[in-house]
Order: sequence, then C-alpha cells, then structure tokens
Amino acid sequence: MTEEKLRVVGTRVRKVDGYELVTGKAKYAGDMRFPGLVYGFAARSKVAAGTIRAIRIDAALRQDGVLAVLTGKDIPGPNLIGVLPPHDQPVLATDVIRYAGESVALVVAETHQAAKRAARAVELEVEPLTPILTVDEALKEGARKIHERGNVTFSKKLVKGDVEAGFAQADVILEDTFTTSNQEHAYIEPEVVCVVPSGDGRVTVYASCQSPFHLRGLIAANLALPASRVKVVQAATGGSFGGKDDVATEIGILAGVAAMKLGRPVTIAHEREESIIGSTLRHSARITIKTGAKKDGTLVARKIAIVLDGGAYASESPFVIMKAMVHAAGPYKVDNIFVESSAIYTNKTYCGAFRGFGVPQVTFASESQMDELAQKLGLDPLELRLKNALRPGDATATGQSYEKSVGIVQTITTVDARRKALPPLPASDGRWMYGRGISCMLQGISNGAEGVDVVGASVQVSQDGSAVVGVGLTELGQGARTVYAQITAEVLGIPLSQVTVKQVDTDSVHDSGPTVASRSTTVGGTAVKMAATEVKKSLVSMAALMFKVDEALIVLKENFAVLSVDDNARIPLKDVATAAYWTGFPLMNLTFSRAPDAVYDHETHQGKIYITYNFGTHLFDIRVERSTGKVEVLRHLACHDVGKVINPVGLEGQIEGASLFGFGLAHMEEVLYRDGRIINANFADYAVPSIKDRLPTEAMAVEDANPTGPYGAKGIGEPPVAGAASAFANAVANATGIRFRKLPITRQDILIALTSGQGAGR
Amino acid sequence: MRIEFVCNGDDVAVEAPQDMRVLDLLRNVLGLTGTKEGCGRGECGACTILVDGDPVNACLMYAPKLQGRTVETIEGVAGKDGKLHPIQEAFLEEGAVQCGYCTPGMVLSTKALLTKNPRPGIPEIEEALSGNFCRCTGYVKIIKAVQRASGALKA
Repeated sequence: MTEEKLRVVGTRVRKVDGYELVTGKAKYAGDMRFPGLVYGFAARSKVAAGTIRAIRIDAALRQDGVLAVLTGKDIPGPNLIGVLPPHDQPVLATDVIRYAGESVALVVAETHQAAKRAARAVELEVEPLTPILTVDEALKEGARKIHERGNVTFSKKLVKGDVEAGFAQADVILEDTFTTSNQEHAYIEPEVVCVVPSGDGRVTVYASCQSPFHLRGLIAANLALPASRVKVVQAATGGSFGGKDDVATEIGILAGVAAMKLGRPVTIAHEREESIIGSTLRHSARITIKTGAKKDGTLVARKIAIVLDGGAYASESPFVIMKAMVHAAGPYKVDNIFVESSAIYTNKTYCGAFRGFGVPQVTFASESQMDELAQKLGLDPLELRLKNALRPGDATATGQSYEKSVGIVQTITTVDARRKALPPLPASDGRWMYGRGISCMLQGISNGAEGVDVVGASVQVSQDGSAVVGVGLTELGQGARTVYAQITAEVLGIPLSQVTVKQVDTDSVHDSGPTVASRSTTVGGTAVKMAATEVKKSLVSMAALMFKVDEALIVLKENFAVLSVDDNARIPLKDVATAAYWTGFPLMNLTFSRAPDAVYDHETHQGKIYITYNFGTHLFDIRVERSTGKVEVLRHLACHDVGKVINPVGLEGQIEGASLFGFGLAHMEEVLYRDGRIINANFADYAVPSIKDRLPTEAMAVEDANPTGPYGAKGIGEPPVAGAASAFANAVANATGIRFRKLPITRQDILIALTSGQGAGR
Repeated sequence: MRIEFVCNGDDVAVEAPQDMRVLDLLRNVLGLTGTKEGCGRGECGACTILVDGDPVNACLMYAPKLQGRTVETIEGVAGKDGKLHPIQEAFLEEGAVQCGYCTPGMVLSTKALLTKNPRPGIPEIEEALSGNFCRCTGYVKIIKAVQRASGALKA
C-alpha cells in the first residue's frame, strides 16, 4: 500500500456536533417535551437484604397527581435485566431485596415532585436478613446464598507456562495484596429516559444511553413486544463511561410499561442520589500478586489472584473479571503466568462496566509490585519495565503475539527521553517531600473475547456532494462522530462541514453491539471507511466517464474530482454526485467491519483474545506536605501508543479526561458504605475532582500503526485511567517512603501514615 | 404568582408557583432547556445562570426571586443570528467540550468572570469555575478555552 496523503485525518478539528452543545440547543433526553408528559419515580428498598412480605401501594395511589403505581407483577415480560447471562436482575424486586436502593415500585404522577412524594408512601414490608457486605462473608462456609446459584458470580483462570517452575528459577520473589474501592461514574447528567407511545402500536424511547440496542432488546422483552415495535433513539448523552447501560434498560423498561399502560409519554429522570445508589459502580478489588524475577530484573513468573466485589447482580462481571485477568501481568513478556479471577455477589449496589473495565485495579497492583521489585533489585523503575516490555512477536499473557503495533517500548523511551531532559526533582525539605512515579500498562481494544465484533456503517452522498453517515455506535462526548466525519471527509475528498453523522436510532442504523471497550474508532472507524470507500467508487466511476479517462486517474479532493495528471482539470464534486445520481450509480452503502474472531481455550485463556492493545507509560512528579498529607501534582506525562492520531484535539481530551478519572480513583474518590447503605450519595460527600484538582497532563502519542484500525488507529478512551492511577500510587510511595497497598490513597491516609511515623521521605 | 423579569434581553411575565425553582421555571415554563440539572443541590454547577450578571445555581433559587431582575441563560449567549460568542468559539476551538452537559454552566461562569475580570490569571479562573464540575475533559482544555476567550475579548 502506498502511503496516503491525508488531508483531514490527523488534523486538529472541532467537534462536529459542538455548535449545539455550546449553545444549549442539543436535546438531552430530559429536555424532551411532549403533550401529556408524566413522570416516574421509583420506590426503593432502604434495607440491603431481606425477603419481601408485601409491597403496599394503596396509600401512594391515593396521593395527589398519582396516575399509577407499578410493581414487578405489572411488567408483561420476564421482569429481568442484565446485558449478559445469567440475566439475574429484576427490574422491580418482587421476592428478595439484594441491595439498599433496589427498586420495588414505580410511581407515575403528573409531576416529578408528586411522583417522588408518593414513592415515599409505598410501603415495603421486608423480613430483613443480615446483609453480606464483604467478599469474605460471602465466601464463608455456609454463607447465605444471595442468589440460588451461590455467591461466586463467575470465576475464570488463565494458565500460561508453568508458574511454579517459573518461581523455581527466580532469584527474587515478592508477594503482596492490594485493594481498590468502588468508584462512581458521576457523569454530570444523571440517567434519564422519555418513552412515547405512538399511534402505530410502537413505542419510541429517547434515552441517555451507551448501547441503544441493549435497550431495544430488553425493553421489548419486558414489554412482551417484538423488538421491531420498539425504537430507541439515543438522545444527546451527558457522559456515560460505561455506566448508562443496565440502568438505562431498567428505567427504559419502567417508563415503557407505564407509557403503554397509561397511553401517555412517561419520563424518568434520576436524581443524583439515585444515580449513585441505583446504578453500577466500579468493582472494588482485592488482588494478591506474586512476582518472581532474576537478579537482572527478568520476570520469570507471576501468580495473581483477583477477587472483585460485584455487588448484588452480575451485570458485566463475567467480562470484567476476564479483562482484569488478561491484563494482570502487565505489558511484559512473562513466560509463566497463573491468574485466577472471580467476581463475588454481596448485598451492595451492583458493579459493572466502568472506563477501564478491571484494568485499572490490576494495573495498580501489578505496577506497585514492579516498583517494589525495582527497588529490591536496585534497578531504575523505567529500566526494569523496558527490560521486560513486550516486543513485536512476543507472546502476551494469553500467548497471542502481534507483529505490529506493539508500542510499549516506544512509550517508555519517549517518556524516558523527556525524563532525562527534566531538571532533577528538588530534595525533600522540612515541609515538602518530593517523589516521582511511573507506570506502564496495556489495554485490550474492542470486544475481542467479550463478544462478536461487528459494526455496521452507512454512508450516503447527496446530489450536492454532502454526506450522511450512520453508525451503530454512540457519541458519548468522546468524539466518535467527529472521527467518523473526518474519515468520511478524507475518503470522499469533501470538507468536514459537508458531513453529518446522524443521531443513533435503532430503526436507522445497524445493531453494532455496545459502545464499549475503546472500540468506536478502531472498529466503527473501519466500517465508516469501508462504506465511504464503496460510495467513492461510484463517484470515481462517474468522474471517469465525465473526463473520459481511466478511473485510476481520478482523485477526489478539495470538493472536486481531479485528474491526477493535471491538477487544474477538476469537476466540482456536487456535479459528479448529481450526474452519478441521474446515471444510476449507487450513492449509499451499508457495510460491516468484522474484527477477527477471538479464538482461545476457555480453561486457560490461551489464544487470540483482543485484536490489538493500546500501550502506555505515565509519569507523575508530586510533592507531599509533611504536616497535612496534602499532595500537589507537579508534572504528569501520559504517553500512549494509539496507532494513528485521527483528531489530536479529541485524543488529548481523552487522555486528559481519562487520566483525571484515574487520579480520582487513586486519590479522591470512594463510595462509602455504613451498614450496607451508601452514605456519600451526593457531590458534597463524594469527591469528584474539580478544576482545582486537575492534572497538568501532557498528552503524548506514539504512532505504531495498527493493521486492524482505520489509518492504523486504535482506541484511547479507557487506557489512561490505569496508567494515571498506578503512576500516582508509585509517586506517593517514592515521595513518602510509604507503600500504600490500597486505592484511594487519600490525603487523610497519607497524613495518618506520616503521623504514625511510617515514612521518612526520600 | 406573576413574575416579571428580563430573560436573555426580552421582557417576560410568567405565572409560577412560589415554590417553583428557577431551574424548573426556565426549563418547563419558558422551554429554555439549555440550563441543565446535575445534582439539584448546588454542588455541580450544571444549572448555572447569570442573574444581574452574577453566576447563580438555578436549582437553589426560587422563581419569585427573579422579580425585576435580569437573567441570562445559555440561549442568550450567542447572537440572535446564531453567531457564537467568543467564549463559545474558544470552548470549541480548544476542545473544552466533550459530552456538553456541563458546558452551558461553564460558559456562563466564564462569562461572569471575564465581564468582571477580562484578564484573569489561572487562580482566578480556577476560583470562578470551581463550582462547575466536568467529568469528561479533565479541565485542561477548559482553562485554555477561558484564556483564549480572555484574549479574544480584550482584542
């Protein structure tokens, strides 16, 4: 393939859907107004575990403005959600309460306030059970079963080589246990849906959601309708980060049942507290990791046990444990690996997909131990990582090898070059302790072993030369639409302003699976490029007829069809498109990109799991105030191998935003429970990073082209979370001399450790 | 009760219950849905509007408080011809917008800041925007956008 000269891809462009966002014109699901709109509000359990004796709705029904109160028996379908088997979660609990905050009834009223007031009047009679609040309690011999199938949600193993033989070769062995806590997505827009019954027997669901086809399937099933009777329109969505999936189906079903029953449009808009207690969190984790190495730092074996607290329902736990497992040994060549990874049910808010998907937790454990290993062996932490970093052709933890786009070494050398050019860190003084932390990571891109990896995209060119693009993956703020528009503009040689990427609705785009796993650019972008290329063939054929030349001589650029041998010989593209239409050339194409299937052994997880990995190296310089534990971040380098940058502005935004997510996980954020109830379900008590907490992130990109992505690109949405969280933890250890084996490492944790005399600083 | 105020340059007179929040008045009575609700407790800043030029959380103010005052919402920031305000241009140019849900509040807090202090330093920008949460951008580009807008406004 000759190198393409790119005109739009790789340039800094504005978000194509930005005008509506900065002017307040964009319609989020909560902005929808329909005649006769009514409001739903759920009644929730206050206890974490119990057997339901009765749900009494009479008092609620008598309240002013109340139109209906639904319980589980009013749901025509199976009253079950869950995006994966075992589909173990009721929409409305009918028999058993499994977490505090679980919905038991939906009140529908003329106003949100009336529905909320009446929801308090729903009487839930429960015979309380002692809630199981930790994985240890859940796994105890004879523990009460939270679900009939037991308290182990799922458990998987990864076996590569012979881990005990590996340890036998080791000169040094380290073993420690690390824990991380629950993190809340805290998208600024809480979950919201608006369901409108239409005159043709269908329902239209306007939703703030990540994966509209999940909603369509589960709403239809629970309404006992064929999926073809449900249309899900993804409204402008105010952030998702993995979160607006299960819960979006839950409220979509509830509003749908109410809308069908009342024949009126119904909206459910979660308040912030509901968003925190009643939807997925990031899994808390306990990770025991044992690493064996030679004196020269060569890793010979890693044995890792991962236990994730999944809360009350399975949600995405089956895949989160797998992703955590596959990534736990890090971006290194290790011949002998054994990982056991489990998710456990507890009586807490359920955990599911969350930006990073298990990788931040294991990366924190793995990279903390790599630092301790470097210290023990007297090696520079970056040198130790470089020595073990995967090279092209090396086998990953799953035994898969990639000949191309294995950029971990380049990210290390890029950060190292930058590090060498930096002035030395100041020596610690009476007030401040200075420290530097680094980390390396990898993150599998796209579904891989988590499901079929097909995206459908359509491109349609009008007679005026403008293009409409439809993709079954959603814009969540990450800039997917802009990437798709850039690729279309690039292929067709038209300006970005002539491309419109349509709103996703399930009637008009192909089911492309969920918008997850950093796959929008990689797999979605490939589909768009293929569809645009097909339409381009029509335009090129038409232009060749008009010029009376061979098609090989036609170039589409700058909104013209141009002769490659004479740059002045040009026909406006709109004239070509118009002629193509009247000549009968197809100007629309729907194409599917299909990533290579995952092929692996289900017992050992050896085989082809992901189509590619994003690799990254992060560096933090911090200082810690001795008297207060306060941390100031002085520098943050975040270097990722992204294959190819499509839009540098969007790329930087993803790295900066995801890094702050990682910093929040590592330093500030923690969902707190007391007696099984979340006690910080608001932004006063749950610390979302503010502008004063932002990182001085320098986003750096390495481009080691990925053969499975458009123009060589691969995803970046998730990877920096793991990189930033683990590098921060290492910086704290470097500054204070104290190794914290838990996240978050809060200012208070640091202060307590310092005042108890644990750390003397560097 | 009858409430009269100036909204985005126009005189408005509406009937609203005394206990209605300004946020609901704007969104549900006037149809100005650009003002967003994120927490309902004054913690996230998504519902920021300007009342007599000062940033206010519309979720914490009751409608009668608007009597005789001047309100600006995101719908009033761009020109009537749709031409973007330099602050909006700066947010787009710098990539300070991702999901967009916090953006109306961010833009209005920025406008209040730059009106009072056309050349703010970073500490002033941090202070002015510390009540507006953004979960997408990491804020790096928001700072740059405010700085760019500051330059554009003084030029």
